[in-house]
Amino acid sequence: MNLNRRSFLKRSAASAALFTIIPRNVMGKMGGANDFIAPSDQLTRGIIGVGGIGRSNLHFASDQNCRLVAVCDVDKKHLDSAVEAAKKSFNEDVKAYHDFRELIHDDNVDIVHIATPSHWHGIMAVEAANAGKDIFCEKPMTRTIGEGKRVEEAVKRNGRIFRLDTWFRFKDTFYGLGTDVKPLKKLVESGLLGWPLKVRISGATGFTWKFYWTGKENLEVQPIPPELDYDFWLGPAPYKPYNVHRTHQTFRGYWDYDGGGLGDMGQHYIDPVQYLLDKDDTFPVKVEVDAPQQHPDAVGIWRKITYTYEDGCQIILEGEGYESQGKVPYIEGPKGKVYKGFECTIPNIQEVINELPDPAPRNTDYLECVRTRRQFALNESNGHHSATIVNMGVCALRLNRTLNFDPQTQLFINDEAANRLVNQPMRGEWGKYI
Amino acid sequence: MKKTFNIILTAILMMVVMLPINAQDGRQRTPETIVEDVLAQMPTQNQTDFNREMGYLAQSAPKSIELLAGMLQVAEKHSNNLIEYAISGVTAYASTNPTYRNAVRNGLNKAIETAVDATAKDFLKQQLRLVGNEEDAKVTYTEHEGAAPYAAAYDKLKSLGENAGNEVVKALKSKDHAYRMQALKFATDYNLVNDNLVKNVVKKYNSCNNEGKIDILNWLGDNKVVSQKDFLKKVIKKGGAPASAAIEALGRIGGNDVADELIALLGKENSDDAFTALKSYRGDLNEKVKNALSKSITDGNATANLDPLLKLAFERRLRGASEEVFEINDKGLSKEALKTLSGVVSPKDVSRVADKLDKCPNDLISDYQNILTSCVKSQEAKKQYETISSAIKQASNKERFYSVLGATNTDESVDELKNIYESTKNADALKALTQSTNYKAATTLLEAAKAGNESALNSYVKLVNANETSNDRKYTRLSEALNYAKSSDMKKTIITSLGNTPNRNSFLLVGKYLDDKDCGYTAAAAEKNIVSKTEEDIEYEVMQTNLTKAMGIYKNHGTADDGYAVDEIKKMLTELEPVTPFVLSDEEKKEGFELLFDGTNLDNFVGNKVSYIPINGCINVTANYGNESNLYTKKEYRNFVFRFEFCFLRSGVNNGVGVRTPMGVDAAYDGMCEVQILDHDAPIYAGLREYQVHGSVYGVIPAKRIKHKPLGEWGEEEIRVEGNHIKVTVNGEVIVDGDIKEACQGHNVAPDGSDNNPYTVDHRNHPGMFNKTGHIGFLGHGAGLKFRNVRVLDLDKKTSKKKK
Repeated sequence: MNLNRRSFLKRSAASAALFTIIPRNVMGKMGGANDFIAPSDQLTRGIIGVGGIGRSNLHFASDQNCRLVAVCDVDKKHLDSAVEAAKKSFNEDVKAYHDFRELIHDDNVDIVHIATPSHWHGIMAVEAANAGKDIFCEKPMTRTIGEGKRVEEAVKRNGRIFRLDTWFRFKDTFYGLGTDVKPLKKLVESGLLGWPLKVRISGATGFTWKFYWTGKENLEVQPIPPELDYDFWLGPAPYKPYNVHRTHQTFRGYWDYDGGGLGDMGQHYIDPVQYLLDKDDTFPVKVEVDAPQQHPDAVGIWRKITYTYEDGCQIILEGEGYESQGKVPYIEGPKGKVYKGFECTIPNIQEVINELPDPAPRNTDYLECVRTRRQFALNESNGHHSATIVNMGVCALRLNRTLNFDPQTQLFINDEAANRLVNQPMRGEWGKYI
Repeated sequence: MKKTFNIILTAILMMVVMLPINAQDGRQRTPETIVEDVLAQMPTQNQTDFNREMGYLAQSAPKSIELLAGMLQVAEKHSNNLIEYAISGVTAYASTNPTYRNAVRNGLNKAIETAVDATAKDFLKQQLRLVGNEEDAKVTYTEHEGAAPYAAAYDKLKSLGENAGNEVVKALKSKDHAYRMQALKFATDYNLVNDNLVKNVVKKYNSCNNEGKIDILNWLGDNKVVSQKDFLKKVIKKGGAPASAAIEALGRIGGNDVADELIALLGKENSDDAFTALKSYRGDLNEKVKNALSKSITDGNATANLDPLLKLAFERRLRGASEEVFEINDKGLSKEALKTLSGVVSPKDVSRVADKLDKCPNDLISDYQNILTSCVKSQEAKKQYETISSAIKQASNKERFYSVLGATNTDESVDELKNIYESTKNADALKALTQSTNYKAATTLLEAAKAGNESALNSYVKLVNANETSNDRKYTRLSEALNYAKSSDMKKTIITSLGNTPNRNSFLLVGKYLDDKDCGYTAAAAEKNIVSKTEEDIEYEVMQTNLTKAMGIYKNHGTADDGYAVDEIKKMLTELEPVTPFVLSDEEKKEGFELLFDGTNLDNFVGNKVSYIPINGCINVTANYGNESNLYTKKEYRNFVFRFEFCFLRSGVNNGVGVRTPMGVDAAYDGMCEVQILDHDAPIYAGLREYQVHGSVYGVIPAKRIKHKPLGEWGEEEIRVEGNHIKVTVNGEVIVDGDIKEACQGHNVAPDGSDNNPYTVDHRNHPGMFNKTGHIGFLGHGAGLKFRNVRVLDLDKKTSKKKK
């Protein structure tokens, strides 16, 4: 009995005056906690990209609050196995798409879950926003600063609810740091550490940069496997002859699609820091890199990346094998330091924290946000900000020099070449989507 | 590599030979030479080298660019990496300098025309964008013609500019929730929120359904609209779902009057909402809560707001209200008061809390222990100990105070508790020790663990993890602890701890748990962690077996992060290199050298094969200082040439080669001699005597002091012994060449029979110096070095052969 709600919406949108789009709740009453959820109140979701992350236990789910109704992949093997798994696990006959545009415009899909390599995130998010869909996007948000900016604009312009999928700013133990972010936020906010602060994301403070996500140079040209539509997989990226290492999972090692361990883990680690430092609405003004020269195609390793904000706050990323030795603080201020496991130079820190007020409340239930149309805690705006920090590092690495950034214009200062990396060309028709 | 470039270069040179070469650098190099030289440096390892090399290329652009681009091969040849490094490097470098920029741009433009294939062309075009003009870089993003129903409304609002406010208000009439929120959010994003707009939005409030009302209330809170506090208070009075939203909004807006309003709501319909808002309220709540509590006490019968007020006092640590909380607890007005006390007490409350702890019924003991601990929390540890100690003296149920004493974590408290436990086996004392973070508690905890107390074992492991800095010591402690672990949770805890103790021993021990059905997954994670962190060598075969098993375990587990782990292990496996046994060079073979250690086994040696282990082609020395058992050649030698390679892994490593020595004695004195092996560059050896430096015939002939290679690099050594003559050569340099008999003028022992021998440099007797034959031995003085490629030429055998 699943009515074709979307086409109804679209028709009414087209025929009615400006502000009279019929909402979902006109067609079904809000149910209580134990009530049957009418099809028109039940949210639905389609996943684009059912390889690694899209097929993980974390995301491949379907329940009465949010049904999985469609999947999309350009690898036929991935697609077939996802369809089969949906049948087996949730008894759902999900629609299978090869072209993500068809999934996005499928009227039965409310939420578009983007789980592709990151060179697709911008295009898909903008397309989904324009189609009036809410968006659940895996990290990193976008591959370039310009794409992030346009995703932010498109989501706003279409009034969509966007969630960027990393979560440490509001829950869970923060990797090897041995604490969640909340007590850190309370401490930072209290001013007890002084200002400005220096945050060190390093092996020594519990983080790993996964340098196995590096690329290979001089790739052999291999035959494209029959199940893979490689041209579509590349999409906006320049066409380079196929080698298996460019695709599934190991794609992270190539600048055309991602940015190695920095691209893969950077936003996970940096986003909570942006929250801690209360920098959700600004950007660093400088990025410095210490690294071997980078190959133009294959991502290499780096030793150190340092970001500086206008007020002097710094985020320091220390590469694997180049991290500080011994006991170094995670956050360091003029008046105090915090180490792994929330060890602190301020005596009796746990008691001090208990006396401080909680951080301001945030909306951390995405489906609830979709229903109430409230902004999610990690959204198109602060998500674009932390993705930009990652992408600033990528630009500096690729150009092998210090870059200065203007938070207002979101462009690099006096560096035309760097700004050409802010916006990058897209192959074929894809440029017109974003 | 260089050869290939020369061939390619020659080909290019033949094509361009007629062109004038105008760009040359200070060293008078031609662009061709520059390109060749720069390619040999690719990729550079730091910015200084990068800027220098790219400077050369930029100075010789556009020629250098054309040359480089001309070398690009079709993608199928997969051989372009160094050229790609050079071109992308010079492009990045030149992009900041107008002169170079133009030259590189010209070079790229020419190169694009003649690019060898589409991949090369795309690559060059990408590079051109970084140095090109606006035309070169142009990216047009045309509007996609797809449907965008919601965007139309937004665009309309945007086109209205400041006048959009009216449209925002109108939008509130819409039945479409998404659209209403979009309009409100639009006003926030575009700074349209002003008194006028707020007034008009609030005016619409009553005409909205609940959902619309809540949207407006959220919006007022998100924008911190101070002017509407009274409105929000009114909404709260009316109750229902909007009241919740109004409370949240009021909390976000904040202010002194808001705190009063929120406190007044505690115990009423929206108590939970008010409580949440108060938890994040910025400001002092002590006085307000104190007064509210006091009023509740006066009002007599337990009022509904008592419990939430107490909870708040606890959560926000409102010490200003402690007297009232004590009173409520004493009068039995609320059970919550007991828990609250632990959040509001301070040192001034010690004696009354101690008294309660001493006298309370059994079921309240742990509560009062917590409260007493909280009383002294703000004091320094030593002061805490003194305070609690003196409280114990006045108590009659002293054992009730043990856990409070332990919580001070002072050395004194641990000693006291250990004495009590060891003499009386008092369970409270042991429990207090299990809670201690002081490492002194460890020995007692381990004893209790041996007797079967797993909670003591758990605490022991925690202490070891927190306090042991050396992996070797940590491993020793943890591996012992593992023997006493009974539950699989305990085993997993220890296995994870071993995973964070990245040495070879941990890897071998954890490997035994890979097949365990409960601990397998934990063991797999630990093995992966050890391999990624360890600096020690681990046998290739064991790594191969264990990592393959671990990868299988991750595959079966099957979450997304497991997929990452599988990739990580795959990479580790590809990096493993099997040992290829060392073989003698043809020359050494001809001379008659024999291999003593080819990398695979110690069959030609006897002695300590526990601290000298063959791993991945090397003899790894793990003998700890003072562990005197050495490794000796099976055979004895008189005249010989002994060759080997050595590698220091830690600063200050000490070992030695014993010559003509019996087994189990100090070869430096009871053997012919010991040739010193020592990282004498280490700062700890600043006061070293000259006869102790590397290569010295210990105590007899000082060696010429060499500078060792960096840690981790291999050095080569040859020791040649013929009669009384010893020659030591390190890395090709002769550092000892002398006759030991001459060195001590024939007096290997003091002529007067005393212990003081004026004829040797170390003034000691060397009774074994004139041994006729003996073993060759490695004499361990601590871990941290490796030997490999050990071979010997028996000169006596050789001469006897020749004689025949």
